[in-house]
Amino acid sequence: MKVAGQAVLQAPIERVFQALNDPAVLVRTIPGCQQLEATGPDAYAMTVVAGVASIKGSYAGTVQLAELQPPTSFVLRASGAGAPGTVSAEVTVRLTEQQGATVLDYDADAVVGGMIGGVGQRMLAGVAKKLAGEFFTGVEAVLTGAAEPVPAEPVPVAPGVYRAPEVPAKKVVVRAGEPVSFILGAVFGAAAALAGVLVGVRVAQSSRGRNDS
Amino acid sequence: MTTRQVGEPVRRVEDPRLLRGDGRYLDDLGHDAAEVAVLRSPHAHARITDIDVSGALDVPGLLAIYTYEDLAGPLADPLPLLIPHPALTHGRTQYALARDEVNYVGEAIAFVVAENRYLAEDAVQRIVVSYEPLPAVVGLAAARDGEQLVHPDVPGNRAANLVQEVGDAAAAIAAAPHRLRLELAIERSASMPLEGRGVLARWDADADRLRLWTSTQTSTGVRAAVATKLGLDLGQVEVITPDVGGGFGVKIVHPWPEEVLVPFAARNLGRPVKFTEDRREHFISAAHERGQLQQVEVGFDDTGRLLGMSVRFWHDNGAYTPYGLIVPIITSTQLLGPYKLPAYRVEFDSLYTNTVIVTPYRGAGRPQGVFAMERTMDAVAGYLGLDRAQVRAVNFIQPDEMPYDQGLIFQDGRPLVYDSGDFPASLEKLKKLVGWDDWRDYQAAARAGGRRVGLGIACYVEGTGVGPYEGGHVQVETSGKVKVATGLTSQGQGHQTAFAQIVADELGVKLSDIEVVTGDTRRFPYAVGTFASRAAVMSGSAIALAARAARAKVLKVAAEALEADPADLEISDGVVRVAGVPGAEIALGTVAVLANPLRYAFDEASKAATQFVVGHPDQPPVPEDDEPGIEGRDYYSPLRSTFANGMHAVMVETDPETAEISVLRYCVVHDCGTVINPMIVEGQVHGGVAQGVGGALYERMAYDEAGQLQNASFMDFLMPYVSEVPDGIEIDHLETPSPLNPLGIKGAGEAGVIPSAAVFASAISDAEGFPITSMPISPSELFELRRQQKENRS
Repeated sequence: MKVAGQAVLQAPIERVFQALNDPAVLVRTIPGCQQLEATGPDAYAMTVVAGVASIKGSYAGTVQLAELQPPTSFVLRASGAGAPGTVSAEVTVRLTEQQGATVLDYDADAVVGGMIGGVGQRMLAGVAKKLAGEFFTGVEAVLTGAAEPVPAEPVPVAPGVYRAPEVPAKKVVVRAGEPVSFILGAVFGAAAALAGVLVGVRVAQSSRGRNDS
Repeated sequence: MTTRQVGEPVRRVEDPRLLRGDGRYLDDLGHDAAEVAVLRSPHAHARITDIDVSGALDVPGLLAIYTYEDLAGPLADPLPLLIPHPALTHGRTQYALARDEVNYVGEAIAFVVAENRYLAEDAVQRIVVSYEPLPAVVGLAAARDGEQLVHPDVPGNRAANLVQEVGDAAAAIAAAPHRLRLELAIERSASMPLEGRGVLARWDADADRLRLWTSTQTSTGVRAAVATKLGLDLGQVEVITPDVGGGFGVKIVHPWPEEVLVPFAARNLGRPVKFTEDRREHFISAAHERGQLQQVEVGFDDTGRLLGMSVRFWHDNGAYTPYGLIVPIITSTQLLGPYKLPAYRVEFDSLYTNTVIVTPYRGAGRPQGVFAMERTMDAVAGYLGLDRAQVRAVNFIQPDEMPYDQGLIFQDGRPLVYDSGDFPASLEKLKKLVGWDDWRDYQAAARAGGRRVGLGIACYVEGTGVGPYEGGHVQVETSGKVKVATGLTSQGQGHQTAFAQIVADELGVKLSDIEVVTGDTRRFPYAVGTFASRAAVMSGSAIALAARAARAKVLKVAAEALEADPADLEISDGVVRVAGVPGAEIALGTVAVLANPLRYAFDEASKAATQFVVGHPDQPPVPEDDEPGIEGRDYYSPLRSTFANGMHAVMVETDPETAEISVLRYCVVHDCGTVINPMIVEGQVHGGVAQGVGGALYERMAYDEAGQLQNASFMDFLMPYVSEVPDGIEIDHLETPSPLNPLGIKGAGEAGVIPSAAVFASAISDAEGFPITSMPISPSELFELRRQQKENRS
């Protein structure tokens, strides 16, 4: 499935890029995002709750950023799995400045599998665009101060782990000085939207266990 | 005198029960059973690197989780390749649970048993499978170019290559006055029965026996496969087919993974276990059919007579080949239809793709073959400017040429020899029924009024009643009631009615006194199954023979009791009478009593059979060459298939603006030999036409390039409603009895669907004025074709 879209954010390109790099912002603005965790250079784990109609669920997955060209573009590769299905997506995000605002174009190519792939396909593109729209609106609200600002000295709940605030925007803590070099925002907005999927803290445990019955 | 039952439109005895909701389908059984949910692959092609079930273990009510590593012995081997063929050089079948690799979305990976389906699904959701995705091969073009492989050890994705040739087709085409070349395509569809697959197993630990109920088209096939897979003696396994809510081909595949895993779990857990497939599972883990690409080269003379034909086609067999090459073999042979070709060559490749397996669906390869041939006929007529029916007629095999040997080997491994049919007479009937000769005037008048209408025609021949055999058992009880059993299964064909009609005539009993049981290995353990329009031909014939044997025994016993010559006896309404001697009669039930010498009387009637009453003191009560009771058991095993045929015509109208396609009239001429029950045959034709309309205009399997089936629900997979099925399908019968079986029957079950793609393509081409080469066709596709045509012209 291919989904492309555009958003205009009323903020300068550097600030937009910065916001998209800020896990504390992202965790608040990605629709359904529950948790975000840095797992390596430009690599993250994430948990998202999303769905199409009644096919809802929690997705756990990973995100890898590539081809970073601050502040103008990057490519995000995300994959996740959850009860409603699986998703893998490659999203290209381009930022351009236009009269003080920032135009963001995203281009996603996603493979959506499982239940949601089989029974939700014809709504997926629409849902993805809607979620992406919510995401960019959320980011813009943070940037323009319409939303409660991210606290000056946010602290992660654990090193590198960010949780979404409880309803509506509680204080989000991000540890000062933590290098937040990632750009998940668009990625996730679009990717999560795409499948309604997500990423998680959960690392696939090994050991092929089974119930001896 | 009893009215003859065969040939009468007897109302189906099944219907009152089924229509009142009293049917007992698989999921109506086993309310005490533990239930199953299956973890299925979300990837079309991937390596499984890890399966972690630890998160699922604390789900309440969980009873067991099985993965491949839990399987042992024959159960750990790949599922059987049911129909091997020498040309199937690279046959592959899946494991009951995926071992290292998955090859289609929907392939079973883990099998979870819990107190109920909800809990089982909860557990499935908590199993974490790690995959390494591999490139997916989707669609025939990708399979054919072989750049990516489905199975690494199958070069070119080619499961099989098969060539059959009669004469020198290339030379005949080259020498012909005219030549044409066609490129054709047919998309996938599926059987899509209302009831999906389902299995229930009870293991009796005390008796060391398994009883299995399954929604199948072959209970004996499942029995043999399950016994083998579980290491049981055949005698330890009973398979019962309950009411089956439609099969249409898909349920002839066996054993499904669930059919071996359910009894495996039932034995392990010591309690009944049930699997009921849901609709999405049916889309992604049962079977599909139809997908082919075809190239036709044909040479012909000025009259439209075909001189040589060469067909090359590519058949999408999906990820595995459990059912061998049956579908493409049928396409390649039945393509010839009612026509004779001096030279014919056909070559096909059966190719792997990372999609659901392809196995017979009603019509089973014939719709594709008929599409190729009938598109060719229309192309030849168009090229020569001749009437389309006339071009067909000049190519017909004539009635005096029967039996006609096409020189090919059919799907049953036997020569493709047509046994009967009168194609010129069928065509005349169809032309008259549809008003063929007035069509051009009607079309011109419609066009003048701004309407686009088209008339299509398509002819087919259908090999039915393939072997190896079926059997029948007929028993007259002392009540006078008759119990009939045959091993093949029923899934809506009205067997209980049609077989009873046969027995009623053979034995002279009332229809209401006859009870027919099918698909229960306890009642009849030798059988093949219900497919290839074979039940009436095979079991109908076997039951007729069995009834004749029972009748002979009745006459023998009655002759003795009535002190008459058996040749003077007649049976009607369950009473044996001496012809011309009023009052000299004996009820069938009494005959049954007398046929079973008794020591112990259990009621008034049975006193007549006790040892002080019957028998000659100097002879054994049961003669050496006889047996007690009135029973007949016989088998019918034909030399080869019998060939039914038919011709369809459809009138369509296409909207000049929206390209919507609507059906104005649908006409069928059908020859299935002796008709047992015209109402059932017409019902079969109606149902077939309905499915054909779906296949021609609506249904397709929308796989994306990653192998995800995007329309795996009835929301997106369009099946015709009653509003899309033509009103008042007009049917005319021609009965040319088959010489191959005792009743002259030819199969009728698949007929209605076989020419659909061809006949609709013919009609739409006629309406639009350009050839339709790919089916199904949607309004948007027709709209796009119109745009391209316009562009090409300008």
